[in-house]
Amino acid sequence: MTTFLKITLELLEGFGKTCEIFFVTLALALPLGLVIAFGSMCRLRPVRAVVRAIVWVVRGTPLMLQIIVVFYGPSLIFGVYGFDRELAAIVAFVINYACYFSEIYRGGIQSVPVGQREAGQVLGMSKTQIFFRVTFMQMIKRIVAPMSNEIITLVKDTSLVRVISVVEIIMVAETSMRKGLIWPLFYTGVFYLLFVGLLTLLFRYAEKKLEYIKI
Amino acid sequence: MEYYHVEGFRKRFSETEVLKGIGFDLPKGKIMAIIGASGSGKTTLLRCLNFLEKPDEGKIYIDGALLFDAKARYSERELREKRLRSGLVFQSFNLFPHYRALKNISLAPELLARRHIRAYRKEQLEASRGEPFFARRKQVRRRTRAYAKELKETNRERAESLLAEVGLADKRDSYPHELSGGQQQRIAIARALALSPDVLCFDEPTSALDPELTAEVLGVIRRLKGQTMIIVTHEMSFAREVADYVLFMADGVVEEAGTPEEIFLHPKSEKTKAFLKCREENS
Repeated sequence: MTTFLKITLELLEGFGKTCEIFFVTLALALPLGLVIAFGSMCRLRPVRAVVRAIVWVVRGTPLMLQIIVVFYGPSLIFGVYGFDRELAAIVAFVINYACYFSEIYRGGIQSVPVGQREAGQVLGMSKTQIFFRVTFMQMIKRIVAPMSNEIITLVKDTSLVRVISVVEIIMVAETSMRKGLIWPLFYTGVFYLLFVGLLTLLFRYAEKKLEYIKI
Repeated sequence: MEYYHVEGFRKRFSETEVLKGIGFDLPKGKIMAIIGASGSGKTTLLRCLNFLEKPDEGKIYIDGALLFDAKARYSERELREKRLRSGLVFQSFNLFPHYRALKNISLAPELLARRHIRAYRKEQLEASRGEPFFARRKQVRRRTRAYAKELKETNRERAESLLAEVGLADKRDSYPHELSGGQQQRIAIARALALSPDVLCFDEPTSALDPELTAEVLGVIRRLKGQTMIIVTHEMSFAREVADYVLFMADGVVEEAGTPEEIFLHPKSEKTKAFLKCREENS
């Protein structure tokens, strides 16, 4: 029983790190994704091309590889050492997820009928006003489902940070596995399940709250 | 030159020239109906008049003053100012689905009011120059807030009276999807009126409606006395009844223009005759 309690506390600590990476990534990648979405829809062709190329590279390579590149890259290229592991992991996650989010945003924005924008224009609204007052909520309504998918994936992707030895829940379990205890590894699933369950409820609530918008 | 004067509108989409030099005059408070077959450029003309489409050539004068010249370059902001002079009611309503009826109407005026509020604040700051810093800020903030509240109240009252005008006072808190097509279009008309445009344009306002809903929308338009209006329509009987002028478009030009009697009873052009005959047979 005491082992169980001890392991639970250890895993909980590892899960704290998991949550930390999750929330920081989410807080930064959500707005950054919107910026990238605008970049990929920019009227200036060079901007659009560059942004789309970045999205292609980021979505086209494994996240694990990106974490490694961000962490080891600076020291290999510039000879700078002492880069914070967790910071590197978060940078990689934010860039990666912002690119995925940007495509979801883009789809959401482009699926709002052009007549909505025209109605705003005819009423003398500025582009910014049209985006925030007319398009935004309609976009949100459309992207809740794909976003929830992506965000739930993020929860589990956080386990990748252990490639640069950031200690999160799976790594904690692996450590105890090396000491001969296998069950903590399976036990980690419970933490993920509970967390994702909570998120699922949250998304369901959001969908319910947005039901008043009929498109 | 009459109150609303349009001249020389040309618009080309890659290979096809949709407008080939359109011009007309409309006195203040009068109603003009634009009729013509599909593809004759009616909708494109309306879109150009509301700057949703950039014409290649053309000028608009309102009350003798040049409002728009296709040859000039206007900034985004200038164009926005110009758009406020005219209104457009769409065929497909295009109400904002996430706002209630009242908010649909009051949104644009509220956003415009922000500018007045900023100007007012600046004015107040200027006027109170020399007074102690914190006291001055506090006072200006209080006055600006009161002013903003007052404007908001005015806007809301105006939106409510417009709702009443289109006969939907009881639907102020309904979302667009809870309303019938006819009701939605009436809200859209109120929304366009809220900015008091000099000219209100309608792009086939009843085409998306069932026949039994058409009447209520036409009834609302009929009651807008004194508003200068341009109505693109397929409803010949309506055009005949409410319009002061009728303009028949064919292949991007004004084929014939005149009073309803002239156009409907004594058409001169062969194309007009053929179009009206075809319409009669269909109805």
